[in-house]
Amino acid sequence: MKIKDLMLRDITSVMPDCKLVDLIKILSRHKITGVPVVNKNQEMVGFISQHDLIKAILPNYLEIIDSCSIFSEFIQLSKKLKECAQHKVEEFMNKKVITIDDEDNEVRAAELLIRNKIQRLPVVKQNKLVGIVTLTDICRILLETEDSSS
Amino acid sequence: MIATVTLNPSLDIILEIEELKLDHYNKVHNIQSIAGGKGINVSKAIRGCQRDTIALGFIGGARGRMIEEELRNMGITTNFWHIEGETRSNIIIWDKKRAQHTLLSEAGPVITREDLEMFHSIYYRVMSQCQAVTLSGSLPPGVPLDIYGTLISLAKERGVLTILDAMGEPFEKGLEKKPFLAKPDLRETNQIFGKSIEREEDAIQAAREIVSKGAEVAVVSFEQKKDIIATAQGLWFAETNYHKIVNFIGTADALVAGFAVAFTEEDKEFIEAIRFSMACALASALREEEEFSSREEVEKCLPYIYIQKY
Repeated sequence: MKIKDLMLRDITSVMPDCKLVDLIKILSRHKITGVPVVNKNQEMVGFISQHDLIKAILPNYLEIIDSCSIFSEFIQLSKKLKECAQHKVEEFMNKKVITIDDEDNEVRAAELLIRNKIQRLPVVKQNKLVGIVTLTDICRILLETEDSSS
Repeated sequence: MIATVTLNPSLDIILEIEELKLDHYNKVHNIQSIAGGKGINVSKAIRGCQRDTIALGFIGGARGRMIEEELRNMGITTNFWHIEGETRSNIIIWDKKRAQHTLLSEAGPVITREDLEMFHSIYYRVMSQCQAVTLSGSLPPGVPLDIYGTLISLAKERGVLTILDAMGEPFEKGLEKKPFLAKPDLRETNQIFGKSIEREEDAIQAAREIVSKGAEVAVVSFEQKKDIIATAQGLWFAETNYHKIVNFIGTADALVAGFAVAFTEEDKEFIEAIRFSMACALASALREEEEFSSREEVEKCLPYIYIQKY
């Protein structure tokens, strides 16, 4: 199956100069964990996720997230986030751009998602962002295909 | 790709009633919730023509997410700016016995300056991947009356064909920036440039005035089955003689979708583009509820469209 037939047709994205306060608003209102970063021509220049943010602001937070000191660290995280609210996304984004073409297939998408340990894979057509594919989407399609064949 | 802008979308709740009795108990037989708003309807019809489309605008809250999900499931790409407030709902009472639709429309949530800035940024980026954009419908509170003019200028800067379908001052201010095609929405006031459209001559005059003010193509609907199309080269009447029409809601949006599709297909002559657009409107009028879903439905309507030069 082609990626264009299974992708989520959502091109929510931010520009590199988007402020962190606005990024958090977007993630929260869209109920998503990360977004592609694009230039003014909708070409991918990076990806920013909650994980990237926390890793940059408070690197040890992800390691101690299961420990009993989580509350004090949480307060620190909150303080740091407020300090960085006006900083730009480009300071924190992952500049290694991993994308898939909309004419590619689900096997290639699954490989890219798993190999790179990412949850959301941006889909491009002629280098411009046209959608997003997740492992959940691929599993759903695989299940539907199995159902119809059985 | 064709973009559509819906600044004030709605979740349309259609209540099906046998016969509406005012100041009386009315039983609802069926209830249906669908994504609405003129631009969204245009996107649905473009998708029905099997072309890629992206819906832009403001949405918010649970109703907004329902709209987004419905559109994505239909194969429409979305890139809405999510606002703090909740998207409005429109109640449509469908009186089956009288075959009448009564619309109760909310004003919509307030849009802030920050919302507008974020939307402009999204719009400018999306224009880089589009051939045409349609700007349709009413403005929610907080949006400046000249927004369509601003959006037309931004699209033209990126070489995108612009189609304006709005009413009153937002239409007139948008026209100042010379869109490719302009169509006044006459549902509420039946007025344009301060004059009423009562007779066919008034509609012809209005179409000519729209062209003189800078639009390359003017479209003025006169009565429900007839449109007047004007350019600097001439004026045409487009109408249908098909009588089994079941629903006029959304036909104007399907007409706009038809123009957006036809004028971005290189092989279409001007008259063929008009015919195709009118066929889209007719295909929409033959459906009771959802928008038409295939190009074949539109092509079947082509023989029922008559175009005459004035």
